Amino acid sequence: MKINKIILSFISAVAILLSTSVVSFAKVVGDKIVLGAAISLTGKYSSNGVHTQNGYNMAVDRINSMGGVKVGGKTYKFEIIYYDDESNPKRAAQLAERLISQDGVEFMLGPYSSGLTKAIAPVTEKYGVPMVEANGASRSLFTKGYKYLFAVLAPANLYLDVAIRTAVELNGGKGVRIAQAFEQDAFSQDVRLGILDAAKETGSEIIIDDKLPKELNDMAATLVKVKQMKPDVLVVSGHTKGALTAIRQIAEMKVDVPMLAMTHCDAAKLSKQHGKNSQYALCASQWHKTLTYKDNFFKDGMTYAADFQKEFGYDPPYQSAESSAALLVFKDAFERANSFDQKKVRDALAATNMQTFYGNIKFAPGGQNVDKPMVLFQVMCDGAGKCENKVVAPLKWASAKLIHPIPKWSDR
Amino acid sequence: MSKNVLLYAAILIFGLVAPFVFPAFKVQLSILCVLIVLATTWNIQGGEMGYNTFGNILFYGLGMYLCASVQVGMFFPLAEWTESGGEKTFVHTPTQFFQGMAAGLVVAAVVPTIVAGLIGYAILGLRGHYFAICTLGLGVAAGEISGGIEIIGAGQGFTTPPFPNVGGLEARGEFFYFLSFGALVLTFIAVRAIYSTRFRLILNAIRDNEDKAEAMGIETMKYKIIGWMVSAFFCGLAGGIMGGLVGYIDSTDVAFDGREMGVFMVLMAILGGKGTLWGPVIGATVFHIFKEGFWTFFLGWQYVALGVLIVVIVIYFPEGIMGWLREKYPERFGEVVDEADRKAQVELK
Repeated sequence: MKINKIILSFISAVAILLSTSVVSFAKVVGDKIVLGAAISLTGKYSSNGVHTQNGYNMAVDRINSMGGVKVGGKTYKFEIIYYDDESNPKRAAQLAERLISQDGVEFMLGPYSSGLTKAIAPVTEKYGVPMVEANGASRSLFTKGYKYLFAVLAPANLYLDVAIRTAVELNGGKGVRIAQAFEQDAFSQDVRLGILDAAKETGSEIIIDDKLPKELNDMAATLVKVKQMKPDVLVVSGHTKGALTAIRQIAEMKVDVPMLAMTHCDAAKLSKQHGKNSQYALCASQWHKTLTYKDNFFKDGMTYAADFQKEFGYDPPYQSAESSAALLVFKDAFERANSFDQKKVRDALAATNMQTFYGNIKFAPGGQNVDKPMVLFQVMCDGAGKCENKVVAPLKWASAKLIHPIPKWSDR
Repeated sequence: MSKNVLLYAAILIFGLVAPFVFPAFKVQLSILCVLIVLATTWNIQGGEMGYNTFGNILFYGLGMYLCASVQVGMFFPLAEWTESGGEKTFVHTPTQFFQGMAAGLVVAAVVPTIVAGLIGYAILGLRGHYFAICTLGLGVAAGEISGGIEIIGAGQGFTTPPFPNVGGLEARGEFFYFLSFGALVLTFIAVRAIYSTRFRLILNAIRDNEDKAEAMGIETMKYKIIGWMVSAFFCGLAGGIMGGLVGYIDSTDVAFDGREMGVFMVLMAILGGKGTLWGPVIGATVFHIFKEGFWTFFLGWQYVALGVLIVVIVIYFPEGIMGWLREKYPERFGEVVDEADRKAQVELK
């Protein structure tokens, strides 16, 4: 029975390992405010995860280089501990637990996507850790009575609401026939609910209502139906992959539809990757660089975009902009609370009312930002085939006129 | 036997004090318990019976959804709970939470057992690769189907009831730790008891030569089904606990997570040494430690590191850690090596 000895020594090894690996950071070390974030660096959300991380890093550098955060007469600098949640909610919940109980983080930044935020929110809520998140838009996040969750973005059900209303308006106020296909994930399903609401209110009819799998790379079945049934509007949402797949297959199959409304066009760099094929696509966005909001750190959208381009080599999608904004919100809240007490910071966050380059930020009791409308932009190309995203709605910021209906493929 | 008692007492004590000695690691330890349960039960099929299944994730996911659904459904309308637009906020009282959890876990264990019986009856006639491929389909299909059922949240996911406000900050972690540790102890005792009976020999006979076993009058089908039902019972239980622990159930990423959990349970059993009682336990522990370590030190590259680890295991420890130890120190496993006889055999070949 010597095997027992082996197992016993094995167990003691585990125990020793555990006891020696308790490394504890405090929330505020020296002159640093340590924030924790689980980000999707691998897995299906990895590209958006990186956009998020770049947005966070950009703001951290900017705030730190412009004097940091002043609390109690002392200046602090931001620092972020990152983990990779692998685009997996189970992992994200585990990491949140780890950030809080092992790394001693007392303030959190959100992950990418609604599903992961849903997994993390119960944990931060339990520990009373304020979390400012920039990428979880699902409406159900804001109906659960969470007190420590703050989202700088507009909820998901509003994403394409404007598109439907615009289509109805252009149809002379009569209801339109909608075809829709949504990925089976928390965010896209919420966008779908928003469309259902909008359809009900405008008397529109939903003639195709498809679900797309999570590992999304084919939606031909939906498009065949669209070709047959000729809807007035085609709505597609499935994060970056959904946008890319839709454009690729619509072009391949030459699907004619008067209006194509999507999400995540800028994160997918549609206008760059698919050029003229993506022309006329209508996209919901939390932010666009041409909006005229201003703040002291990034000045305005155009300056942010230029700085971001210089730093990371690509045009910032709204995912990066909103992530940067999350840091601005935190800084503002720390300074107003003038304390690192979690409750006080939480109350300060709840009372946030500010303008950033990304938009106005003011939280409803549920935690969602109620002071910032969504914008719609359309991909427009010039004769040389150079494509750009131009804001077409709401009219206040519109830099171009909506092209409707989309010309048939045979005429393009 | 006295040494055995000492060993088990040591483990039990370690298990009982661990959450207080290492409070920061409660969640990881809870997950470790769940992993051990999964690896140990997979070993009943993969190790003892020789049926490599990828289907056990089905019972795990089923248990997860069932437990949460029962816990909510006992007190509130389930459809309204999961409907994302629902403006109502439901709160379980502590009594409701624990009652619901208890009832949920019973359902989470029993229903998958029945399902395993039914599916087993249909597909356990398949052998070898055919069985493996067939069970692979089970998990994938379950994920897609559950992703379309509105009442359990479909693609929106299902938020399990939050832990009630009792006993301070650490209460939730401790509750789930002891729940999963309890499940682990239960599983281990049950599996150990099973392995000491003729049942294990029958499973081994099926693994070594199913036709011969049948020819000897063993109703192999019956035992295969029972074996799978035992696995399903504990997998379902583990799933139910994990659902509450994670707090959010997603059809393909958390519940029917064949790509991660489904593969991990196989890996852990093989790493530790399949066909042994302790192999899966050791395998799961080592695997969990490595994985957590990789996550911290190889950010973004953890799967590459894990992949390398797997390659190393397959090349250098094909029989797993227990198998390697057994080959190295056979006498410690109570085996008597007759050197002369061994040499004679080698020379004969």
